[in-house]
Amino acid sequence: MLRILRNIIDAFKGVSGLPEAAQDDEELRRAFKLRYMQFRRLLNANDKALKTISEMESVQAGNKPFGMSFIRSRCALLFVNVYQIIQHLDTLSGGRHQALYDTFGRLQETISPLLESAVPGEDAELVLDLTAIDRRHAEVAGVKMASLGDIARQLDIAVPAGFVITSAAYHRFMQHRRLQEEIHQRIQSHDGEALDRLYELSSVLQQLVMAAEVPPEVVAAIEAAVDKLRKQVDGPLALAVRSSGVNEDLPGASFAGQYRSLLNVRPGHLIDAFKEVVAGKFGATAMTYRFHRGLRDEDIVMCVGCLQMVDAVCGGVVYTRNPLDIREDTIIINAVWGLPKMVVDGRSAVDHFEVARQAPHRVRERRIGAKTVAYRCLAEEGICRNELLEDQSHAPSIDDDQAAALARMAVDIENYCGGPQDIEWAIDSDGHIVLLQCRPLSVAPAEAQASDADAAPVSEAEVAHDAAAGEEGAVHAVLLHGQVTAARGVGAGPVRVLKREADTMRFADGEVMVVQQSLPGYAVVLHRAAAVVAEHGSVSSHLANVAREYQVPALFGVEGAMSRLADGQTVTVDADGLKIHDGKVDALLRGRLRAPHVMAGTPVFDTLAQIMPHIAPLTLLDPDAPTFAPAHCTSLHDIIRYCHEKAVQEMFAFGRDNAFPMRSSKQLVVDVPMQWWILNLDDGFSDEVTGPKVRLENIASIPMQALWQGITKVPWQGPPPIDGKGFMSVMFQATRNTALVPGVRSSYAQRNYFMIAKNYCSLMSRFGFHFSTVESYVSERVPENYIIFRFKGGAADDFRKMRRIQLIAEILEEQGFAVSLTEDALRARFEDFPMEVMCHRLQIVGYLTMHTRQLDMVMSRNAMVEHYRQRIKSDIEERFGRPPEQPAAGPQQRSSPSIQGQA
Amino acid sequence: MGKFNILLVDDEAEFVESLAERLRLRGFDIAVASDGAGALALLREHRFQGVVLDVMMPGMDGLAVLREIKKGDDPPEVILLTGHARTEAALEGIQQGAFDYLIKPVDIDELSFRLQDACEKRALMLQQQ
Repeated sequence: MLRILRNIIDAFKGVSGLPEAAQDDEELRRAFKLRYMQFRRLLNANDKALKTISEMESVQAGNKPFGMSFIRSRCALLFVNVYQIIQHLDTLSGGRHQALYDTFGRLQETISPLLESAVPGEDAELVLDLTAIDRRHAEVAGVKMASLGDIARQLDIAVPAGFVITSAAYHRFMQHRRLQEEIHQRIQSHDGEALDRLYELSSVLQQLVMAAEVPPEVVAAIEAAVDKLRKQVDGPLALAVRSSGVNEDLPGASFAGQYRSLLNVRPGHLIDAFKEVVAGKFGATAMTYRFHRGLRDEDIVMCVGCLQMVDAVCGGVVYTRNPLDIREDTIIINAVWGLPKMVVDGRSAVDHFEVARQAPHRVRERRIGAKTVAYRCLAEEGICRNELLEDQSHAPSIDDDQAAALARMAVDIENYCGGPQDIEWAIDSDGHIVLLQCRPLSVAPAEAQASDADAAPVSEAEVAHDAAAGEEGAVHAVLLHGQVTAARGVGAGPVRVLKREADTMRFADGEVMVVQQSLPGYAVVLHRAAAVVAEHGSVSSHLANVAREYQVPALFGVEGAMSRLADGQTVTVDADGLKIHDGKVDALLRGRLRAPHVMAGTPVFDTLAQIMPHIAPLTLLDPDAPTFAPAHCTSLHDIIRYCHEKAVQEMFAFGRDNAFPMRSSKQLVVDVPMQWWILNLDDGFSDEVTGPKVRLENIASIPMQALWQGITKVPWQGPPPIDGKGFMSVMFQATRNTALVPGVRSSYAQRNYFMIAKNYCSLMSRFGFHFSTVESYVSERVPENYIIFRFKGGAADDFRKMRRIQLIAEILEEQGFAVSLTEDALRARFEDFPMEVMCHRLQIVGYLTMHTRQLDMVMSRNAMVEHYRQRIKSDIEERFGRPPEQPAAGPQQRSSPSIQGQA
Repeated sequence: MGKFNILLVDDEAEFVESLAERLRLRGFDIAVASDGAGALALLREHRFQGVVLDVMMPGMDGLAVLREIKKGDDPPEVILLTGHARTEAALEGIQQGAFDYLIKPVDIDELSFRLQDACEKRALMLQQQ
C-alpha cells in the first residue's frame, strides 16, 4: 500500500514541482484526472461517514430498538471511512497531514474498548457442584442456579442435588470451531425485521448450535460430574436440565418462560440436552425480547443447571405477593398433582390458595380446581400427561399444613432475597418440600394507571381541561392561545425565551422553550424541555418531529409568545387544549408522562451513549480560527470536517497555482457585474478551452449549470432599501472589523470561484460581507448525490443576521434540506435524490445565494421580514416550481435527517 | 472501456451465486471462488481488475488472501466484504491496500459503483506508470 501511495504522491509532486517545464499536456491531464479521482474518493468516504453518523444519531434519538451488532458495524464503517478520508487528504497534499493519524489513533483507542464487552467467567471451572455455589457465582453459574445454591446454604431449604455447566464451558462451546463468529455473521447478515425472517433466522441459529460439537474437555467435565452425582443418589439417575442465564437480573429482563427446561433426562443424553438449552437462547421469542430490551447477544451467557429429577407427588408455584397488588398481605399458592410444570403451562385447572403472610399462615381462601391431568416422569426418559381419576381430580393437591409450610418457606426466601419472588417447588414421595427454582416476581408498577400514552382516554383529558377552566380557572388565568398542537401533552416549568440558537446554551433542564420559529437548531436541547412554544411553525417541522419523538408537549402558532412571556415566569403549556396557563396547573399535569427511550438503561444503549460523544459532536466550526487543527479535533466528525475543508483547499490551490493552460482558472463570460472564475478539475468543460475566458455553453458540469440557472433566473434588483438603523449597523460593523471593509480583503476573496467537473461543482463566493459555499455532486448514482450549502457572516448586528439566517433555514427546510445553525453559521445538506431533483434544489440554492445576501440590513422590522419571506417564496414557486419528479419515498435508506450531520 | 473482470470469493455458495448473477446483469464479467486457495489459483491464471473478498472464510481468511494478492505484480483492486464487522480487521484491511470495505447485506448498486471506481482507478494508475 505504501508503495502505491508513494506512487501517487510522486505523480503529484512531479506535476506541482514543474509548473511550466516540458511536461506534455497529456501527462498533465492525467495528473489532474488522478488527483480528481483521489478527491472523488475522499468525497465519497466523507459522504458515507456523515451518513453513518446521522444514522447512529437518529437511532440514539429515535425510539426503535437496536443491537450491539448495529453499533459495531457502524463503528467499523465509520473508522474505515474516516481513515480513508485521512489517507486521501494526505496523498492529495503530498504527506502534509500526518498529524491526523495520531488524532485518529487517539479516538480509536478511546472507542474500541467500549465496543468489546468484557466476557465474564471465562476462566472459571467448567462444571461446579450446586453445593459449592452461592450468590457470588451469578457470573459463572447464572442467576437462577446461583440463587438456588445460595438459598440452600443459607436457609436450610432442601434443593435437588446437582451441578452447573458454567459460563466457562459455555464460552468454550461457543468458541469451539468459531461457532460464535458464525452466529454473529448470520445475525448481522440477516436483514429486515419481518417476523417470518426472524423465525427463519431463529431456526437456522438453533440448528447451528445443535449441529455443533461440544469440546472434548467440556464433555469430560460433564461426565465426571455425572459420575459423582450418581454415587449420591439411589437408583437410576435422571436429571432436570434448566437454563440459568447470566445477566437475567438486568432491569426489566425477567426472561420468564423464554428459555428451555428439559425434564427427566438420562445422563447418556445430557450433552444433547445441554446443546438444546443453549440453542434455546436463539428461540424467536427470546431473540425478539433481547432485541427490544437492548441486550447484546453476548450479554446472555447460558449456564445450564443439571439437577436430580424430583418425581413429584405434587408441585406448583408460590407468589410471595399478589402480582397485581403488592401491598396486599397475601401469599398465593397454585398447586397441582404431579410435576409443577402443569401450573406453568396453564393446561389444566389448579388448586388456588391464599395464605396469610403471618404465622401460623392461616389459609384465607381455597379454590380446588377440577384437575384433569398431571405431568409425571416416564420410567425411561421424558414426561407424560396422565389422566387423573375422578376422586383425585377434585381432591386438594396439598393440605393446609403443607400450604402453611410453603408460605413459611416463601416468606423466608422473600426476606432473604429482599423482594417478591416467584418460587417453583415440589413435594416428593417422602412428603418433603423441595425448592426447584426461584426468581424475582414481575409486579405491575404501583402507578400503573394511565401509563399508556395512546390508550389514555380523551375523556380523561377533557375532565382535566374542565377542571382547569372551572374551579382552577380563576387562579390560573389563560395567558395565550395557540393554533396547532405540534406534540401532544401538558408541560409546566419556567419560561426561557430563545431569540437565537446560541441562546440554547443557557437553556436549563425542565424549562419551557419559547421561540419565534420552530427552527431545527433548537432541537438540541429539546429533550430537556418541559414544553415548547413557538409563534410560527408547522406540525411537520423538524422541531415538531423531535418534540413528538421525545414526547415533549409542543404548542405552535402562539401569537405574541415572544413578547408576552418572560424568562423565569412559570407557565403550564396545554398543547392538547391549545392554551398556556399562568402558573403550574396540577389538574392538567396529572396523568402526564414521559416515556424514556425503549432502550434506556440497557447495556446496548449505554454503550452507544458512551461512544457518541467521541463521534458526533462537531466542534471545529470556523475554518479561519487557529483552533481549526488536527490537535483540536475531539470527535470523528471534527476530523471529517477538517479533512473536507483542507481537501477542497488543496484542490483549489493546485488548480490555481498550476500553470496548465487548459485547466488554470478562467473567467466566465457573463453579463452580470461580478467576476466569476472557474477551475476545471477534470471533465468540466465540453471542449478544450485555451484562452483566458470560458463561455457558459462550454461548461459541461451538470451541477454548475443548475446552480447558475438559479443564480441568474431572477434578475437581482440591487441592494434592498435600507432602513436608517440598518445602514448604521453596517457602518458600525465595518469600523470594527477590517476584514469586512472592501479593499482590505485578499484578491481571491473578492471573486466567486467555481471548481468543476462533469458531476461536481463547488462554489466559493463572497458577496459583500457574506461568505457562502455550495458543494454538490450530481450523477446517475443516486445514493452518492448531495448538496452542501454553507452560509456565514453579514455586516449587520447579530439580531439581524440571525433573522436572515433563520429565514434561509426555514426556506431550505421546506425544500427538504437538513439544516443546522450554529451562531451565525448555517449548514444545510440535501442528498440521495435523482438528478432532476438535485438540479431543482441547486437552482433554489443559487437563487438564495444571490437574493438573500444583504437582507440582514432590512431585517429589523417584522413587516419587512414577512415581506421578504413572501417574495422569496413566491419567486421560488413561480420560477422554479416543484421538481420534475418528487419521489414519493424520499431518500431510500436514510431515515430522518440529522440535526448535526453536516459536512 | 470494455467489461471489467471481477473475481468473487466467498464460502457461502448461495450468496455468491446470486451476487454473481446480479453483477453480471450490471455488465461485469464475474468469476467465482469458494475459498482463498481457489481464489489465488484463479488469480495466477487469469487477469482480474477487481476482487470482492469475504473477510471470514474457513481456511485462509480474507485478510490473508489480501496479503497474498498484494504481493503480486500489478495486483487487482480488492473490496472487502464482511458479515462480521470489526473495527480492527476493517482498518487492517484498508492499511493493507484494500480499495474499500463493505458490510453485508450489501447494496448491489453500491457494490457495483465501488467496483467501477476501483477498476477505473487501476486503469489510471497503470497509465501513470
